[in-house]
Amino acid sequence: MRFNDTIVGAAFVLLAAAMIALTFSFPSFPGQNYGPSLFPRILGAGIILCSLVLIIRDRREVKAPWLKLAAWTRDPRKVLSFALMIAAMLFYIFASETLGFIPCAFAIQIVLFLWFGVKPVTAVIVAVAMTLLVNWFFGSMMLVPLPRGILDSLL
Amino acid sequence: MAAIETAFGLVFQFQVLAVILGAAMFGMFVGAMPGLTATMATALLVPVTFFMDPVPALGAIVTATAMAIFAGDIPAAMLRMPGTPASAAYADESYEMTKKGQLDLCMGVNLVFSVMGGIFGVIVLIVLAPALAELAINFSSFEYFWLACLGLTCAVFIGSGDVVKGLLSLFLGLAIGTVGIDPAAGQPRFTFDNVDLLAGINFIPTLIGMFAVSELLRGAVSLDQGSAMVQQQVGRLLRGVGGVWRKYWKNFFRGSILGSLIGALPGAGSDIAAWVSYALSKKLSKEPEKFGTGHIEGIVDATSANNAALGGAWIPALVFGIPGDSITAIVIGVLYMKGMNPGPSVFLQTPQLIYAVFIIFILANLIMFPLGWAAIKSAKQILRVPRNILLPVILIFCMVGSFAMTNSLYGIVLMAVMGVFGWFLEEHGVPVAPLILGLVLGEMLEQNFMTSMIKSDGSFLVFFERPIAGVLGVCTVVIWGLMLWRMLPFGKRTQIVPEGEVTPP
Repeated sequence: MRFNDTIVGAAFVLLAAAMIALTFSFPSFPGQNYGPSLFPRILGAGIILCSLVLIIRDRREVKAPWLKLAAWTRDPRKVLSFALMIAAMLFYIFASETLGFIPCAFAIQIVLFLWFGVKPVTAVIVAVAMTLLVNWFFGSMMLVPLPRGILDSLL
Repeated sequence: MAAIETAFGLVFQFQVLAVILGAAMFGMFVGAMPGLTATMATALLVPVTFFMDPVPALGAIVTATAMAIFAGDIPAAMLRMPGTPASAAYADESYEMTKKGQLDLCMGVNLVFSVMGGIFGVIVLIVLAPALAELAINFSSFEYFWLACLGLTCAVFIGSGDVVKGLLSLFLGLAIGTVGIDPAAGQPRFTFDNVDLLAGINFIPTLIGMFAVSELLRGAVSLDQGSAMVQQQVGRLLRGVGGVWRKYWKNFFRGSILGSLIGALPGAGSDIAAWVSYALSKKLSKEPEKFGTGHIEGIVDATSANNAALGGAWIPALVFGIPGDSITAIVIGVLYMKGMNPGPSVFLQTPQLIYAVFIIFILANLIMFPLGWAAIKSAKQILRVPRNILLPVILIFCMVGSFAMTNSLYGIVLMAVMGVFGWFLEEHGVPVAPLILGLVLGEMLEQNFMTSMIKSDGSFLVFFERPIAGVLGVCTVVIWGLMLWRMLPFGKRTQIVPEGEVTPP
């Protein structure tokens, strides 16, 4: 998936403009023309400069199509693979506090394994083993407070 | 001398050696898997090292990266798929050798010259770093400001094919770095009253997102792409390596020197070192027509260079706190986390830690030989680990690692956002390495800039008044001028980087 440089450039111009606009709410110190807003403004100007060069170059020389889809976007299976990876992260972000690390990690692995075509027996074995290994390593060895969730009473 | 003794004591402990060995095997594996890079290995290691003492933490990173850079050569020769970008320069050449039935020689040369190149890079590091530190001890905020500028500029100049996109990436990284409390006045910026953002954009989840998650997203849609192994059995590795040494020892020194120097340049790492030294080898060779047909000469140069670059990259990282490549960018983040702020004063205050890093570097390159041997012999099994199992497992590691950095979901949210953003950038030919360098150096750059501004009472001329600062400043400004000239559309036609490619071929 690739937008042409005009769109990318325009997006970054807007982003940088918003950034510079926000700097006007920062306090300034009397008698000093440099404060917390100076550095972000320089960077914002830099982003805008680069983006403008991208736009001009694209309009004058390349004239790329607005959006060029990569080959995989025409394969629904691959699009779903891509979406599933993002969905897995979102699922963990929203569910891990209530469900806990172990159920979430197990569920994510099982779903992704099966979708990617791992044999069901292998998928279950690896998912159980990796979940417990990670839980032991980070939870017990590194003392990371992984969310316990519904298994709180059992552990 | 006492510091060196202490350093030996720090390194030669059971726990430290065990960590090094574990990291070595991890690095070998990640490096040998096509699609998993040395940078990714480091990014995944950082959450683990977070809980360790400085010496084992740095030891793990040094060892894992050294192994990964070597291990990338294995699938390059067997599958024509470089295990890490640093092996891409000679993947075709290695594969041609394999097709000619010279896999044994190719692997043996890669192993031996990787070890020797690595050690060469360490020697350069050991000799140059303390000397430079002595010079740097007199630096003030002006010199540091210019050094940071120069380092970041080099990152853009060398690191990517498209200067405009590299520069854009750098500015984005610096801009992301301004989120949080500003270093000079303590004013919260771009935090939107969010408590998590007040602490700034945490560097490690960003890194895991940009280097690992974006890689997983790319991997998820290319799972079916594989290539067949030509020859799987590896015979006697060392047969013929002595002959190669006698014929091409000059190439080894040339590659190692070039590799260490390129590594020491801010922004250019092992992959660029390999490309440049391979190209130079072809240019200076007596038989350039043989290149590309399975000729060992260029491999000697490039495989020495990419391992030598690792040591070289630590020179600016330790002495100035300016990363030599994306791996040392991570290292600098780790050093700050361990309270061991990189800079010349580290060499005075805690020289034992510096010596410990040197010792680990040598140790890592020495154990590369037996471990690399084992990895080559078992390559068939390693390369058979299916990627459809690896991707979900790595995703879990990424999420737990990011969580561990903040002990809250903020780390995972940041990782996911940065992962998608990094994927988006790379899809559009914008390299992410300058962004990471910008994020790491942003605070130091701004702090030195603001301190200098306050000292000079807002006058830019004072930035050039001290002799070294003046020279550095003029150099930087000249490079900026050249860049601006090249960048502008009415100048020379710029070459557009093709889709999905970030390093110049």
